[in-house]
Amino acid sequence: MSATITFDETRSDELSDQRPQAPWGRRTASFRTVVILAILIPAAIVTMLWWYSEIPKPVIMVAIYLPLQVVAAMAAAVAVRGTKSAIDAVIIVSAIGATIFSLVVLISVLWSIITKGLEAMSTAFLFQNNEYISPSTPLEYGGLGHAVVGTVLIVGISALIAVPLGVMTAVYITEVRGRAVPYVRFFVQAMSGVPSVVAGLFILTTLILTGALNQSAFAAGLAYAILMLPTVARTAEEVLKLVPDDLRTGALALGSTRARVVLRVVVPAAKTGIITAAILGVARVVGETAPLLLTALKNDKTVLNPFSDPISALPTYIFDNVAQPYPDAVIRAWGAALTLMIIVAVLFTLTRLLSTQRPGK
Amino acid sequence: MSTTESDNVRIQDVQELEQQLSASTGALTTEMETRDLSVWFGKRKVLEGVGIQFQKNSVTALIGPSGCGKSTFIRTLNRLHELIPGAALAGQVLYEGSDIYSAEVDPVHIRLQIGMVFQKPNPFPSMTIRGNVLSGLKLSGMKRSNHDDIVEQTLTSAGLWNEVKDRLNHAAGDLSGGQQQRLVIARALAVNPHVLLMDEPCSALDPGSTLKIEETIRELSKEITIIIVTHNMQQAVRVADNTAFFLATDGNPGHVVEQGPTTEIFGNPRDQRTLDYVNGRFG
Repeated sequence: MSATITFDETRSDELSDQRPQAPWGRRTASFRTVVILAILIPAAIVTMLWWYSEIPKPVIMVAIYLPLQVVAAMAAAVAVRGTKSAIDAVIIVSAIGATIFSLVVLISVLWSIITKGLEAMSTAFLFQNNEYISPSTPLEYGGLGHAVVGTVLIVGISALIAVPLGVMTAVYITEVRGRAVPYVRFFVQAMSGVPSVVAGLFILTTLILTGALNQSAFAAGLAYAILMLPTVARTAEEVLKLVPDDLRTGALALGSTRARVVLRVVVPAAKTGIITAAILGVARVVGETAPLLLTALKNDKTVLNPFSDPISALPTYIFDNVAQPYPDAVIRAWGAALTLMIIVAVLFTLTRLLSTQRPGK
Repeated sequence: MSTTESDNVRIQDVQELEQQLSASTGALTTEMETRDLSVWFGKRKVLEGVGIQFQKNSVTALIGPSGCGKSTFIRTLNRLHELIPGAALAGQVLYEGSDIYSAEVDPVHIRLQIGMVFQKPNPFPSMTIRGNVLSGLKLSGMKRSNHDDIVEQTLTSAGLWNEVKDRLNHAAGDLSGGQQQRLVIARALAVNPHVLLMDEPCSALDPGSTLKIEETIRELSKEITIIIVTHNMQQAVRVADNTAFFLATDGNPGHVVEQGPTTEIFGNPRDQRTLDYVNGRFG
């Protein structure tokens, strides 16, 4: 470049005719043909096998179609781009295949719960209890209202205990940074491996058999809290670690005490994550059955006092009904499974809504 | 040694004279001072024997190549250094004549009077623009009633008021980098510090924002003492009354090679290395 060049204003009309394009998306005709062949040939072979062979259909999809499609993609990649892109094709097609496979599994679980669960659904089912019915009573009568109340009570009690404790533990690990941090972290880690039946057994032997508590919502809440605590603490620890140190030093430089740094800067900055930690804790325990069998037993009446009586919750309701020889009882179990799933889904949606709120307008 | 009464009278005379002198010239009282300050991270000594006096209501620039300990030094001045595990120091940091590291001093109290602005803008993401400006009051537990005035005054001082006055309740994260930096300057000013430490406050900013912040620094230095770390020689010349040149060589701890009035350091340096550095020949 030997001389300065300035923008030529007179060309603006000509330049304004330019239209946005995506030149990286242009393909040659041979490229298109190869891609179409790589999709159509495996599909054609699998269709033939599907209709005209005796091979079981899941085997066709997993053991024949998937490898066939991977090989076809590899061949296509080699034909169009050369040997180096063969691995690319394998990885991409396997990733897509694995995703579709897990989606199919998840969707079939969802599908059977929704279709079978809907058979049980009615206002009576959702709001009545089991007080005046037996397992053989037809679907029109009785419901799981008492079990929903039980689940809400038990999970609520455990969250009230485990969320503050878990968040404070995380604050100790990330903010206080005391000497015991490695040990605390080790125990929290170890606690997350406690089998749920052991948590139930612990409450049973230490608090119920000693006469300190009845088998009740509170006792079950304590057992759930043991299971919830490590999940909440570890998730909260991870999100508190994500808060940049700049914010902590920034707050300290304004003459803040450490308590105020935590309460007004660090925790608010990690609010979304802390709510997620609480929800993950709830989701961890809400379907646990074993601790309830030991600490809450069951009850066909609606119980509101968390200390007085045994109480049913959704997992124990499912457990009881699915074991009955009556078809309507099994349908009730599916209905309860659907209800449990809806409760968890509502919880997750609520978290999302709460956590996307930003300061200001 | 004993002093006679006439000696005492003479000493008093001299002290009065000094006070009158400093009152008439308007400055030259020392607000902060370090004496033989050496700093360690673990076993590694990063600064050695730093002695600088910071005059009240003046701007002092700390210059020097990366890794010479300027940022470490500035963080010892409001006791942020000690937050790093393994930190240690020797020597003294005097603020208004007393050692800020003596046992009875509360670091929270020191940081309240000696504010700081960091290299990277760090507004609190959970707060609005207004909330960020007032955050210092809340965090330090100061009670003030005229919040609206404080917000307007400090944002005006930081050169940001006109840009944000209509959206004080927006999230601070919506601002551009330059605006965020001016916001954290306003935040630091809201607690009325006597000294403001600035660690490369303009390193991430465009020339326009830099200019605004430099104007702010000049304006602020009428009322507070400013100590600024900068890699920008022109900036040091533009804003600083005094300049200290830090240098660390070959793994040795950093020290102050030369310090004095900015005009002297840039116009007539005594040390060859200072001359080379300010003329851009190394570093």
